[in-house]
Amino acid sequence: MNESSLREVEKRTYMSYHQDGLIDIFVGVYVLLFGLGILFSTVTSFSTWFVIPAIFPAVMVPIWMSVKKRITMPRIGYVKIGSRGVNKLMAIFIGLMVAGLGAFMVLTFASRSQAWALTLRNLIIPNGMIIMGIGAVIISALFAYTMGLKRLYAYGLLTLVLFFTGHYIIIPFAYLLVIIAFVIIINGSVLLMRFIRKYPLAPGDKANVEEPL
Amino acid sequence: MSKNPSNLRNIDRLIHEPARLMIMTQLYVVESADFLFLQNQLQMTPGNLSSHLSKLEEAGYVEIVKEFIERKPHTALKLTKKGRSAFKEYQQNLKQVLTNLPK
Repeated sequence: MNESSLREVEKRTYMSYHQDGLIDIFVGVYVLLFGLGILFSTVTSFSTWFVIPAIFPAVMVPIWMSVKKRITMPRIGYVKIGSRGVNKLMAIFIGLMVAGLGAFMVLTFASRSQAWALTLRNLIIPNGMIIMGIGAVIISALFAYTMGLKRLYAYGLLTLVLFFTGHYIIIPFAYLLVIIAFVIIINGSVLLMRFIRKYPLAPGDKANVEEPL
Repeated sequence: MSKNPSNLRNIDRLIHEPARLMIMTQLYVVESADFLFLQNQLQMTPGNLSSHLSKLEEAGYVEIVKEFIERKPHTALKLTKKGRSAFKEYQQNLKQVLTNLPK
């Protein structure tokens, strides 16, 4: 019983907790709203897409928790992931925020010099999709490794491939987000259906459902 | 055999039993879990799981916490401080025994 065995058990717990596909559906909806927000902002003057990512987690996390309690927990039981697991995810979040802030500060500082600002502008703007694709792969790989959810690698790879394709054959960013969102939502829905079939509710848990006469 | 057989003697037999070791390991990596979750994760029958949990509870390794989730009574199982330190000690002792084995 060494650290790696414990990590395996921890990963199996995460996999079991997220085998219902709910996290995929919610992440997919988030990406979809983000994509639709960008599309709407191109046809209306109001830049709604800035608002959506900001308010979505506050609204959706309680809904996700409630759905989890109604669908997942009666089927596979209730588990509170310990501080050990939460701390790892927190470390990734904080790491990403620090990296983002660091990049922002470097860019702000560099843009003081006109020559640097121009160089950065010429580097980032034409290659924005590639940079975001690489970022998506890194972020999804970090979460995939920590949580043991291999499908996150596939989502990251899909994003990278689509963004690279979009970069070279010029597909609008919003359309790519909508495609990615649909793939994630469909996969999440398939996982949810499989989960419900695999773990039917025990008779005692159907107390509130009327039995046919 | 181990160069230092006392390490082998130090191994906690209550934890060393495979089913209880699985229960302890599962509870060690989470804060708490309920009976159904443990049963699903460990693929154990309710009777078997229940009897091993009783032994672990008697030893003071596992604590049964009664709580309310969405106004419904719920029983969660968690390792006690004693249980956590016993598991860590078991880990260290077993590691030592295995490292001391001749190659």
